[in-house]
Amino acid sequence: MAGLAAEVPRRLAALHYADIRLQAVEARGAVAENGSPKAGFEEVTYALGIRVIAGRRLRAPGYYGAYLAEADLPKLTRLVRAGLRAAWDRALASAEQKAAVAERFGPLGRSLQPTELAPIPVVRDTVGPAFRLDPRSVDPEAAVRAVVGASRAAAGASPLLRFNLVAARTGLERQLFASSEGADIDQTFALTEGFVFVVAQSDESAQELYEAIGHQLGWEIIEAGVEDGPLAFPGLEDFAVALAREAAEVSTAPPAPTTEREVVVVTDPDFNALLCHEVVGHPTELDRALKMETAYAGRSWFFRSFEANELGRRVASPLVTCFSDPGLPGFGHYRYDDEGTPGRRVTLIENGIFRGFMNSRQTAAVIGAEPNGHYKASGAAYVPLIRMSNTAFAPGDRDPQTIIGEVDHGYYIVGKRIPSISESRENFRISARKVYEVRNGRLGRLYRNGGITADTKDFLLSIDAVGNDFRLFPIPNCGKGQPMQTKRMGNGGPTLRGRARLTGETR
Amino acid sequence: MTLRVADLRAAAEQAFARVSRAPGVREVEVFLSANTSLFVRLNYTSHIPCNGVEEPKSMSSYGLGVRAAFDSPAGVTVGFGAEPGRLDPEGAERALEKARRSAVYDPEFVSLPRPTGERRRLRRYHDPALMALSGRQLVAAGWQVIETALEVFAADETVRPADGLIIGGDVTVLQEQVAVISTHLPQVQTDQSALIVSTVTAMVEAQGAKGTGWSAHTRLDAFDGGAGAEAARNALNGRGGIRVPTGRYRVIFGPQPVADLVNNLLAPALSLETFYAAASPFTGQLGRRIAHPDLDVYDDGAARGLVGSKGITCEGLPTGRTWLIRGGRLVGLLANWYEAQRIRLDPHAAGKLGADPTRFARGLVPRNGFRFGRGGGRHFDTPPGVYPTNVVIAGRNPVSRQDLFRLVGDGLYIGRIWYTYPINGLRAGDFTCTVVGDSYVVRNGEIVGAIRPNTVRINDSIHRVLNSILGIGTTARPTLVWAADEVTYAPEIAVDDLRVEEVAGFLEPGR
Repeated sequence: MAGLAAEVPRRLAALHYADIRLQAVEARGAVAENGSPKAGFEEVTYALGIRVIAGRRLRAPGYYGAYLAEADLPKLTRLVRAGLRAAWDRALASAEQKAAVAERFGPLGRSLQPTELAPIPVVRDTVGPAFRLDPRSVDPEAAVRAVVGASRAAAGASPLLRFNLVAARTGLERQLFASSEGADIDQTFALTEGFVFVVAQSDESAQELYEAIGHQLGWEIIEAGVEDGPLAFPGLEDFAVALAREAAEVSTAPPAPTTEREVVVVTDPDFNALLCHEVVGHPTELDRALKMETAYAGRSWFFRSFEANELGRRVASPLVTCFSDPGLPGFGHYRYDDEGTPGRRVTLIENGIFRGFMNSRQTAAVIGAEPNGHYKASGAAYVPLIRMSNTAFAPGDRDPQTIIGEVDHGYYIVGKRIPSISESRENFRISARKVYEVRNGRLGRLYRNGGITADTKDFLLSIDAVGNDFRLFPIPNCGKGQPMQTKRMGNGGPTLRGRARLTGETR
Repeated sequence: MTLRVADLRAAAEQAFARVSRAPGVREVEVFLSANTSLFVRLNYTSHIPCNGVEEPKSMSSYGLGVRAAFDSPAGVTVGFGAEPGRLDPEGAERALEKARRSAVYDPEFVSLPRPTGERRRLRRYHDPALMALSGRQLVAAGWQVIETALEVFAADETVRPADGLIIGGDVTVLQEQVAVISTHLPQVQTDQSALIVSTVTAMVEAQGAKGTGWSAHTRLDAFDGGAGAEAARNALNGRGGIRVPTGRYRVIFGPQPVADLVNNLLAPALSLETFYAAASPFTGQLGRRIAHPDLDVYDDGAARGLVGSKGITCEGLPTGRTWLIRGGRLVGLLANWYEAQRIRLDPHAAGKLGADPTRFARGLVPRNGFRFGRGGGRHFDTPPGVYPTNVVIAGRNPVSRQDLFRLVGDGLYIGRIWYTYPINGLRAGDFTCTVVGDSYVVRNGEIVGAIRPNTVRINDSIHRVLNSILGIGTTARPTLVWAADEVTYAPEIAVDDLRVEEVAGFLEPGR
């Protein structure tokens, strides 16, 4: 691949850059429902992704993606060359039309510029996986036993349980990256995850909840869970039982009230993982800020234009710092992104001041920034997008019990559930798995179907306490792009206290 | 590798002949597919350096999948295996062995699909020109959309590049070919489908104005890039948008919000697998009134000319019309073969459905077993799930657009919503979303001005909305929403008493 990438500028006219990504995934897993096995699976897949930048008057990009098979491996050189030619042909065709449209539309055509990539160090490296139980060694029957056991345990956790689904998957993924600049990177990741969906029904209500566990480790996490610094969860069976009990408990609770005014809310680290994902992570992706997701995942209120943006301005309380760090463990960990840029920690908000974006080489070139390695695809056949790594609120120094203990009247918001965020992330409504009333510093009544809503900046400015209980959580299903790519990443934070309106059920 | 449907047909016969004779195989199904998805993502920004056509790209795959039931000491076990890049009998054998290794005893398995008694109605409906679209034609289609939008902006002397003109979206072409054969459907069936869709968002960002345009066709010669011009016109019309205060309003939902509600709430809620899990907001209400008596909703995968139509399902069964809501009553559910069978075995079925499944057998026909995924295509490496095709919304007493506005009087026209999720879980039926463009204030039955995008959040319930319908428009437009598999034929619908909340005040100048 490195040889193919190196030779291509000599073989194809007006080609300025090319990169090739090849991916092999070997995975297995199983699904159970209500204590009965539903499916086992094993899969081996290969995928190829190519980017070319070419053009004579104006440079433009072209791409090619394909799913491959073991049978394709002997003819890989021919397939890659064909893919390079297809991507080059598209890039050249687009470059020609780009120049013509730029000319035709005068002032409106001036923003059509040659595609540039910001420079990065050329890296040749190999990164190996970490696991104790090799995903490839997992017997399909063992996978089925694990999910059936967890599903049976969940079903037995409460007589109110009406349905449960438990799934597990483990695999190894190898990614090769080579570019015409000379990069040659070979990274292999282990990835194991479990998923639980439960429905409980009481005389009061029905509650459906779903949650996931996962890490870039082996099958051992399904059996025994994880204790890896800020990332900690039990094995799949205990996790399923806990979620089942939670659904049963909440189904008997009264509906949460909807408040007309802001109230004091203490949000736990699990809830804050989703909050950070939605209101800090997504709007600090530079492709959104540069309007590239206007039709899909949306823009960013942090950046309206080069003249009007929040860079260097206060967007949150001085107690709030947020970052994205591929060096932390979990789903968001990697050494190099999908264009060979070393992943590095990015400070997004520092003591309440907005500092910058996650980026790619192309978007970094547009704003004159240094690439920070957040350009990732859900598979080699897809074109990468700017993605969160491990994106989180930084820890503070307060004891979470004290943060709650100081509240005369308010609500404790526990566990992430479902988000709805406005297009540029300026407003949110996010539901929680549990809401407790807080009176005189103590937890009181439990409510179902509660959550909070606020304008993002108002909420971030209202934060008056940040806990020292920083945690990370695996996020298995973030959707972005067209076609939509579902991506795994890490999000987290500590306990926070701020002000928002409580939301309940629609009457 | 260029594959024709005849190649798939021949390969299916040979593969089935090989795996159906394998030891221990009780029933088997072989599904072969070859998909190509072509995409051009668009990103034009007048105030930021850009490419215009951002990503001309493609994704292709082919291979075969085998579902099999095996005789085993534990009883009948069921498994699925897939082999990418292989269509030959040896590939089928490898897939069968994967299915055998991963087979499980599923007490709810009845059989692989058997004939339903219905006949296939749709054949030779794809456009060969669309199936043969080249990479260069794809690029040209993307630039065509950009140019139609730029022509609209250029013709308006009141906008300048510094106003932040944005054109975003895509042109997507799906080229699908499948073949399927099984123990109970032993004649190879093939299907070819292709479609071209374009969704475009345009903005005059400095004035907070956003507009949408879209098109969906099954024929290449129907594509004219007009979605770009439509989006640009709507963006220009959205300038000068105002805020609306928190309250309850009579509203008209345009086609996109109707499709968004279908995609995120109604379609999942009307799937038999959701009822099996007791997770539908309509749990226990089959046969009962769940909506205004004027409302009809059906899924029709066999209607010629509709964009989401297919000849057969990915289980080899005929597509067709499934009535879901008829005169406001819940009369049917989307199903695949597995779900249609297991509900009959479920001792709790009557409680989950609200009726004996045998009494409602005509409403539970498996016409929606598809293997959609990866943003388009019918994929050999996925067992069949339950997916809508063309969801058609219609009124029994449709009213003209003028009458819809008259019914609303003073209220809102909501033309595009975003992030529409069942915020308290699907079962509760509550939803929330924000209004992101194409929306207007209505006074005395007339549009009097635009609503500023991203300043209104809707908090309501699907139950309340379905029962508060004031009128349903006469014209249904094929409408896609981001990441949806189905096409919704959505009319404008007027609804009473919608709960909206003014949000994002901090972005106003001076705050």
